[in-house]
Amino acid sequence: RSMNLFLIVYLCILISKALINTVLKYVWQSEPFRDEPWYNQKTEPERKRNLFLRALTDFLAFMVLFNYIIPVSMYVTVEMQKFLGSYFLTWDEEMFDEDTGEGPLVNTSDLNEELGQIEYVFTDKTGTLTENNMEFVECCIEGHVYVPHVICNGQILHDCTGIDMIDSSPGGSGKEREELFFRALCLCHTVQVKDDDSVDGLKKNQLSRRSCIYISSSPDEVALVEGIQRLGYTYLRLKDNFMEILNRENNIEKFELLEVLSFDSVRRRMSVIVKSSTGDIFLFCKGADSSIFPRVKEGKIDQIRSRVERNAVEGLRTLCVAYKKLTAEEYSNAQKLLQNAKLALQDREKKLAEVYEKIERDFILLGATAVEDRLQEKAADTIEALQKAGIKVWVLTGDKMETAAATCYACKLFRRNTQILELTTKKIEEQSLHDVLFDLSKTVLRHNGSLTRDTFSGLSTDMQDYGLIIDGAALSLIMKPRQDGSSGNYRELFLEICRNCSAVLCCRMAPLQKAQIVKLIKLSKEHPITLAIGDGANDVSMILEAHVGIGIIGKEGRQAARNSDYAIPKFKHLKKMLLVHGHFYYVRISELVQYFFYKNVCFIFPQFLYQFFCGFSQQTLYDTAYLTLYNISFTSLPILLYGLMEQHVSADTLKREPSLYRDVAKNALLRWRAFIYWTFLGVFDAVVFFFGAYFLFDNTIVTSNGQMFGNWTFGTLVFTVLVFTVTLKLALDTHYWTWINHFMIWGSLVFYIIFSLLWGGIIWPFLNYQRMYYVFMQMLSSGPAWLGIILLITVSLLPDVLKKVLCRQLWPTATERIQNASRHCREHISEFTPLACLKSPRYRSSDCSNSPARRSNSHSKKMMFTHWRGVNYSVLPSVFGYSNKHCRSSAGHHYSGTGLETSV
Amino acid sequence: MKNKTSFLPSEGEARPSRRPDNSAFKQQKLPAWKPQLTIAAVLSSFFLIGVFCLFVGVCLIMSANSVREIQIDYSDKCSDCSKLRENSSHWNKECHCSVNFMLEEDILGDVFMYYGLQNFYQNHRRYVISRSDAQLLGRNVNIQKSYCAPFTTYRNGTPMAPCGAIANSMFNDTIDLFYNLKSSVIQVPLLKTGNSWWTDKNVKFRNPKSYNLSSAFAGTARPPYWQKPVYLLDEDDERNNGYVNDDFIIWMRVSAFATFRNLYRRVRRIRQFADGLPAGNYTFRISYNFPVTKFKGRKHVILSTVVWSGGSNPFLGIAYVVSGTAATLTGFVITVIHLKLRKKKTYFQK
Repeated sequence: RSMNLFLIVYLCILISKALINTVLKYVWQSEPFRDEPWYNQKTEPERKRNLFLRALTDFLAFMVLFNYIIPVSMYVTVEMQKFLGSYFLTWDEEMFDEDTGEGPLVNTSDLNEELGQIEYVFTDKTGTLTENNMEFVECCIEGHVYVPHVICNGQILHDCTGIDMIDSSPGGSGKEREELFFRALCLCHTVQVKDDDSVDGLKKNQLSRRSCIYISSSPDEVALVEGIQRLGYTYLRLKDNFMEILNRENNIEKFELLEVLSFDSVRRRMSVIVKSSTGDIFLFCKGADSSIFPRVKEGKIDQIRSRVERNAVEGLRTLCVAYKKLTAEEYSNAQKLLQNAKLALQDREKKLAEVYEKIERDFILLGATAVEDRLQEKAADTIEALQKAGIKVWVLTGDKMETAAATCYACKLFRRNTQILELTTKKIEEQSLHDVLFDLSKTVLRHNGSLTRDTFSGLSTDMQDYGLIIDGAALSLIMKPRQDGSSGNYRELFLEICRNCSAVLCCRMAPLQKAQIVKLIKLSKEHPITLAIGDGANDVSMILEAHVGIGIIGKEGRQAARNSDYAIPKFKHLKKMLLVHGHFYYVRISELVQYFFYKNVCFIFPQFLYQFFCGFSQQTLYDTAYLTLYNISFTSLPILLYGLMEQHVSADTLKREPSLYRDVAKNALLRWRAFIYWTFLGVFDAVVFFFGAYFLFDNTIVTSNGQMFGNWTFGTLVFTVLVFTVTLKLALDTHYWTWINHFMIWGSLVFYIIFSLLWGGIIWPFLNYQRMYYVFMQMLSSGPAWLGIILLITVSLLPDVLKKVLCRQLWPTATERIQNASRHCREHISEFTPLACLKSPRYRSSDCSNSPARRSNSHSKKMMFTHWRGVNYSVLPSVFGYSNKHCRSSAGHHYSGTGLETSV
Repeated sequence: MKNKTSFLPSEGEARPSRRPDNSAFKQQKLPAWKPQLTIAAVLSSFFLIGVFCLFVGVCLIMSANSVREIQIDYSDKCSDCSKLRENSSHWNKECHCSVNFMLEEDILGDVFMYYGLQNFYQNHRRYVISRSDAQLLGRNVNIQKSYCAPFTTYRNGTPMAPCGAIANSMFNDTIDLFYNLKSSVIQVPLLKTGNSWWTDKNVKFRNPKSYNLSSAFAGTARPPYWQKPVYLLDEDDERNNGYVNDDFIIWMRVSAFATFRNLYRRVRRIRQFADGLPAGNYTFRISYNFPVTKFKGRKHVILSTVVWSGGSNPFLGIAYVVSGTAATLTGFVITVIHLKLRKKKTYFQK
């Protein structure tokens, strides 16, 4: 993104350069002895051309001369770097999942560097944080709990009356209800049965003796049917519209399937209408508690509700089951309504919904089920790492609040000391939305106000942090533009609250609402980079909306993976993807972009300066071959390779220290400051090249045999210095020298020399000029030229080295400290300090959260420290000219680090 | 590597494993050298560079100081000549002038004579391209296709040889040096060959093939500003005539800047001049042909010796000394910073 901005700046520079030169040319030429001296006459047509036309051609000629400052080849290189770089992601062994046999997929290579810039992660819960590997845990029939496990989990059962003992079921009506409940579960689903032979990567039903598998769009249903099977009722198949059930007595019961009122995420329930062999017509409905309870007419609602809530807190997914018996005419009515709705040409969806609404009511509540969805392995670890990396994690789920909150606690999104703020329908009912929002923002902001001094130290997450829980209904209230015109007010307030919360949980979200939230954050005024990760079809909208969409190659089909930019097999892989690959990609691309601008400034600025000495006549400084090949072959491969291979710190360190991610957050390496630094470095180097060579050549003898050099030798000298400086600059920036790097960097220098020897060594028959003939060799045969080249290269490289050293010494970033520490570790392993240094962030966090008193103590020390620094070294930048300003921002960071270490 | 995995038995056959190869390259785990900007390395390199630069700089300055150079501006010394040349209609009127100078002490070693021009934009683009290298290679080419215009052909179609603005404006003053020894005047013997690059003289510039030079240039005409055709540039020496004339070759190598000098002659070291130029009174006799006043230029004649580091240019030496000093000072500053920083750190660790 910033690349294009930089490009515009360079375009302006280009145009202004050309303009300046054109104007100066005409000023310079105003004296006739300069415009057309006797030795250098114009041709007739040139003389006759009118002034305006001449000025225009001159301007265009200057544009052509300087056009190399716009690094066209950068685009090619960037594309190549992105494309080839994305292979490293797919090749990563650690991101390959053994169970599914899937590795990561890269659907677009455009976003590699964005992976290092993520500020918000929006994650789905089911299937993403959790495995989406449902297991039927228990069911509750009129308050009696049944558990299908052979080995009972005492904790769940400690207050249950009926413990998995079907015989002890109470009373006749209870028995009847129980049977009805199991049948309901057996019937009310859209599961299909498949024989075992055609294993197609689908879940095998291990417990089934008949070796058949259930397939369904929803894993919950499969879990339920399997669970019921373990309780004695086996769903066999759907044959000729008859559902066959094997009951406990091993008899097959047949039900005619009359209607399916299929599931949708708005109603959050589904129903079937079946006719039993006895001729009774039943409507079985199962769905979320919130959608079932209001429609229930009788049944032990309170008991079941309490059980459901209990389960939800445990993090289980609950469903309620209800039924009603239909009489024949009721059924025919319903059928008619359904027929009409289904045949409707307009608004079919809406009409169907209305009909469903009419049919599905006055239920008799049977019971509830609980399905466990286990957390994915290392999900907690991943979330913790992401939060340490300064990424805000939002969980968007369709589940109910308690379930979701429990999961969030389990995966450490909310920690024990997190203060939970709730913004739910329930709360809004009590107060008005307005008041709730203002209250919340007051709490958050007051807290924040006291924190401002600390935030720069990057420790704010270790402090008291806030978690926000919001539900879909409340969100839609916030998002709804208000009638009185002052719309957007709530939104701003809401955003303000969110920004200060380290974790946000949004539950009861419709798929579109997920996208809405992502959009809301994406368009907020800081324009953070968002990432959405999900596995199901309901996440597709949010995946498409976010900057980076990641799909989990999971159970709920491949829609998400197909619509995403990247697909990974497990949530835990996100950690490596962002912290390691993303970080690398970002560091690499930022260096690549900056370096390209730098090397082209170095390349073209001497050309610009030369115009002042050649009468603004567009004379090129370098030979055409050099002009053409500079970007193509002399300097392109080392940087491309850098863009692919560079590892400024090792991948393991990046993974171990998520906080390093903060070093590159918010486009830190492509800010204007860095850009200006690089540009000035380029200009400085160019000035050194040009004027160094100028004074070297200035009307004196440069050879030891008294012969003179011409303009092409001058250009070649500048160009040689240029190629060497630019390549060595990259060599200085490379932290990871594999043999390929050595080969490329030294290889391209050798190639330059060989090419120059060859280019000047032969009278090329197809050229109509031979100006480079032996120029390079003659230059190399002169001692002063060698000395000049060496000096100029050194002088142009030293400032950058100096700047790096000073920054490292005075204001090291976290990355650099890690680099130092790892070096120490290698050198003397037994020593205590480096290890402590490496682990210090961990100590730090625990220390901070436990003892605020001590922390404040260390803070005062830190302040002292900065103060001292200010006095002593504020003179440095002015002394050395190469300002270290851009390191200053990281200064605070470092001091807090040292200060805290001492207090440990 | 890929083949290997697919050849694995059973599993691999049934479902081609998508498992990525565990090669160091693909896992980005190639063995690598990870250089660090350690304080020791940086300091030592700064000090080394500093010492090296200082050493080289001092050597350079010393050698540059040993160079003797005499530069005489003669553009106004013969004012009547320069006036005469302002009007191009007097091109064939001869004009001579002489410049006297005195050497306080001997100039020992090889002495080179240069002519210098000021404000002469040889590096102007229109000028630089105005030549035909193919023609100068002795090939029979159509110079209409070259960039020689407006010095390509005469109105009657006769091509110019050599064509182009560079050749046309060739420096045509003749400078002779006389040594005044006790009222007798000895002409200092000067070498006019061996002054150009060997490759230019023997490869890049070739006369057209023919039985003699004047026939080789038959059908061509001299450039308009020349007084004689190209095959008469040096009538005494066949190998220094035509395109391979040293003065011509040297002129054809255009300079990088508007102020420049070109090698003109070398002192031949025989007789009194075997050790160089002895001290005494000298006279330059100049046949003044090249007009410079029209473009506000100056003409110089320069006598100079040359050492291994080139001519009397102090720049390189000074630059080395300055950067050497800068590097050393910077090294000290970094050391101070480093020490202070370490002191502070230890203080806080207590």
